[in-house]
Amino acid sequence: MIRKIIVKESKEILRDGRFKIALGIVLVLLALAVFIGAKQYQNTQDQYREAENHERNMWLNQGEKNPHSAAHYGTYAFKPKYPLSLIDQGVDKYTGVSIYLEAHKRNEAQFSAASDQTGLSRFGDLTPDFILLFIVPLLIILIGYNSFTKEKENGTFSLLKSQGISGFKLSLGKWLATLLPIAVITALLFVLAAIILSTLKDFGNFHVATLLTLFLVYLLYYMVFTNLVLFVSYKAKNSGISLVVCLTLWIIACFVAPKTASNFADKKYPYPTRQEFATNVLKDKEAGLDGHNPFSKEAKRIEENLLKEHGVDSVEKLPFNFDGYIMQKGEEHEAEVYFKHYKVLKEQFYNQTKTYRTLAAISPFLPVRFLSMSLANTDYETHWSFADAAEKHRVAMQAVLNGDLVENSKTGDWDYLAQPELWEKIPAFSYEPPGLSENLRRNTGNLALLGIWFAITFSILFVVTKKI
Amino acid sequence: MLSYNFKYELKLLLRSKWIQILIVVLLALFLFAGYNGQQKVTKRIADIDAAQLEMKNADAIMLSLLDSIENGLSVNSVPYWRTPDQPTAAGNNYPRVAAMTPNALTFTAVGQSDLFTHYIKPTVTGEDFTLNFGELSSPVQLLFGSFDLAFVIIYLLPLIIIAFSYNILSYEKEHGSLKLLASEPISLFRWVLQKVVLRFFWIAVITILAIVVTLVVNQVSFPGNLSKILAFVGLTLSYILFWFTLAFLINLWLGSSAKNAVGLMGFWVILVLVAPAAVNQMVNALYPMPSRTRMVNEMRALKAASSKKQDAILASYLRDHPEYAQQDTAKYSYWHRYMASQKVLKQELEPLLNTYENQIKKQQEGISKLRIISPAIIMQESLSGIAGTSTLNYEDYRKQVVDFAGDWRDYFLPLLYRNETFTSGLVTGLPQFEYRERVKIPVLLNILLILSGGVLLSGLGLVLYQRNKARGNLISN
Repeated sequence: MIRKIIVKESKEILRDGRFKIALGIVLVLLALAVFIGAKQYQNTQDQYREAENHERNMWLNQGEKNPHSAAHYGTYAFKPKYPLSLIDQGVDKYTGVSIYLEAHKRNEAQFSAASDQTGLSRFGDLTPDFILLFIVPLLIILIGYNSFTKEKENGTFSLLKSQGISGFKLSLGKWLATLLPIAVITALLFVLAAIILSTLKDFGNFHVATLLTLFLVYLLYYMVFTNLVLFVSYKAKNSGISLVVCLTLWIIACFVAPKTASNFADKKYPYPTRQEFATNVLKDKEAGLDGHNPFSKEAKRIEENLLKEHGVDSVEKLPFNFDGYIMQKGEEHEAEVYFKHYKVLKEQFYNQTKTYRTLAAISPFLPVRFLSMSLANTDYETHWSFADAAEKHRVAMQAVLNGDLVENSKTGDWDYLAQPELWEKIPAFSYEPPGLSENLRRNTGNLALLGIWFAITFSILFVVTKKI
Repeated sequence: MLSYNFKYELKLLLRSKWIQILIVVLLALFLFAGYNGQQKVTKRIADIDAAQLEMKNADAIMLSLLDSIENGLSVNSVPYWRTPDQPTAAGNNYPRVAAMTPNALTFTAVGQSDLFTHYIKPTVTGEDFTLNFGELSSPVQLLFGSFDLAFVIIYLLPLIIIAFSYNILSYEKEHGSLKLLASEPISLFRWVLQKVVLRFFWIAVITILAIVVTLVVNQVSFPGNLSKILAFVGLTLSYILFWFTLAFLINLWLGSSAKNAVGLMGFWVILVLVAPAAVNQMVNALYPMPSRTRMVNEMRALKAASSKKQDAILASYLRDHPEYAQQDTAKYSYWHRYMASQKVLKQELEPLLNTYENQIKKQQEGISKLRIISPAIIMQESLSGIAGTSTLNYEDYRKQVVDFAGDWRDYFLPLLYRNETFTSGLVTGLPQFEYRERVKIPVLLNILLILSGGVLLSGLGLVLYQRNKARGNLISN
């Protein structure tokens, strides 16, 4: 019986001109999005590789130089693009791509793509995630809004009842029939993405398992929408009303909820302005110890202790370069200051994330949005982990450079030049993004929310339609 | 007939609670959106005020330090390399706040304001090209955007219009009253037109009411911002009219209510969602931003080269500025060399940096040309322009800040090169920054563009109607 319903519904859907037109548009958009995405990905990846090589060469070919000059000269950490960004660009457009690693200072990632585009970019991009998150649910509405209302309008409902069909079977049949074309389109997109990704050269940490998980997440999202649409169609008086109600739900879930959530999160847990943040850091830096500031109390204390320990009366008589030593201490202190302030920032981020999670109760869009970017490694958390890795690299780099100064030069000898071999002692920056299991672990909340959304809407649909 | 229709329609709309629903929904949406926007503006003003206050406090400290130094007292509260009698120290540690103050209607469109900072403190030795105009904000927030008035007007208002008018003719058809109507002495075209016009009238009245209430609640002075308010209302009304003409067209063209709704929704998706994104991507493809990572590389290569020849640069700089040259070359400090090479660096980097500016300008021009594709693009550009939060506004602010940074530097540079000290008498003469909103949007042209789109559509509606009438399937089909 269910099979018959599916066949009948599918035939009807396929014969519907509107569905054909919509399907055609969606497929064209998808193909376009994937094509543009693949090109963009290749492009960015090439730029990234070129910049990284160039930067490494610059660093290695500094020639003879004072290690502290080299530390100020610094180097750059570039953020690579990950393969699944082809499917979900996430927040990549809004996060910078390069972090300047220099002495005394932790820098933010610079040059986000959004700040290099006009205001129109805020409408979003024609990327696969745009289609998967916004347009496909619309397609579900188009397929399902009259699933029940047409039976009422055509008078076939009573006919159906007279056949003795169970409400459950009827709903399940309609449910599967609505979902089937959607599942096929989505599968097609993912297969296409898999093919493109595996033909790209060096496609990084692309795993089929992640792609598959992403597919399942979207499928679950579409199931939630199917439940909602069929429920509305069952309850609505006629097709017109059903369509309008479904569209209202769509608008609320996909547009109003995320924007409201963002306003809410921002108001409740605001970020400091860049200048405020910088001032706070500066205050802490000055209150403590500054690598350039020999008058600081802490430096004085360290100096006295060292002199006592080595039994000498001036820093020049110490067996190592005191300037380098104190600079490293200053560096460590500054790193702590940055750690403290970035922790505050991170807490705001976690609090905002929690707010989004709470507000996911009003929209299944939110957990899917977060899950999708996380799996694609294009979420904010991955950006944080990249920035933290860069900071770790920076701190380690300073330790090596100051260490060389301490060991190989005398206090006050600022003319000391380190040999080029020193630059090789600092490895090139590399960053490995979190893998699938790590991402899933971080997103258990979102997974649970999506699961709850599905369970509740599914049970409501089938409880309501049990008695037809 | 019109007055009869008007009365009948009003009664109908009141009895079906449409008017009441519209008033509540629109007021709620506008007020909520206004509240959200105002939150951001309030924070922005508070941030700027805090920065100004901090500057004032710092200035007081600077004055007292200068006073002590000028009276020959020793200063221990700041390290020797930061005492404000040294021009570079004063210019670096006591910067002005170059703030971009919001206008009265800024709360209506968040625009790019969540992406960029609203105050910068340029220093003497700072580099103009590395001034960071980005704001510290959560990218998730930037991705989701804000629920502001621009969003309500551009995205939601058309949907409300669609819900309000998708079934004007089809409803009569589906309820069997169309044949009755056809027997009345009024042409169906006229009848639909009158109905659409009346519905437009009500939505327009309610929207104006909602806008006025929102402006009043947010304490916007009407006489002071009349031109901005009129532009805002005019654009919104023309946008509403555009969607009504589209609804009119669809009503005459398609058949059943559901078909109409799907058709209108299709237009909404294409005009509001797809077209802006497509235009943006097209413009980006046509005028791509050169790689920023490559810029970083070039900048560093140039810097490395210039730092190696700082002495030569200083020498050539002094050749160009003999007024700064001194007899005793030993007096040239690190800062002398630095500032001279900084200038050279800026000149060398200028062509590269200009490419970014030019590309964004070209992108903006491209969008201006392509904006006729969708009224949503015109609206977005116009509303953020009125609010002073468009890309152009931020580009202009950036330019003003860079100009100011130049003034600031030029104030201290002569002191540095003449090896003079900065004194308390010079504090009052410090350059001040005042942001001026210089970007103008072609409001009337934009309104005309949106309206001409509407005229085009209603013309099409007339043609379709004639064709359907000729075929005789207006009523039966």
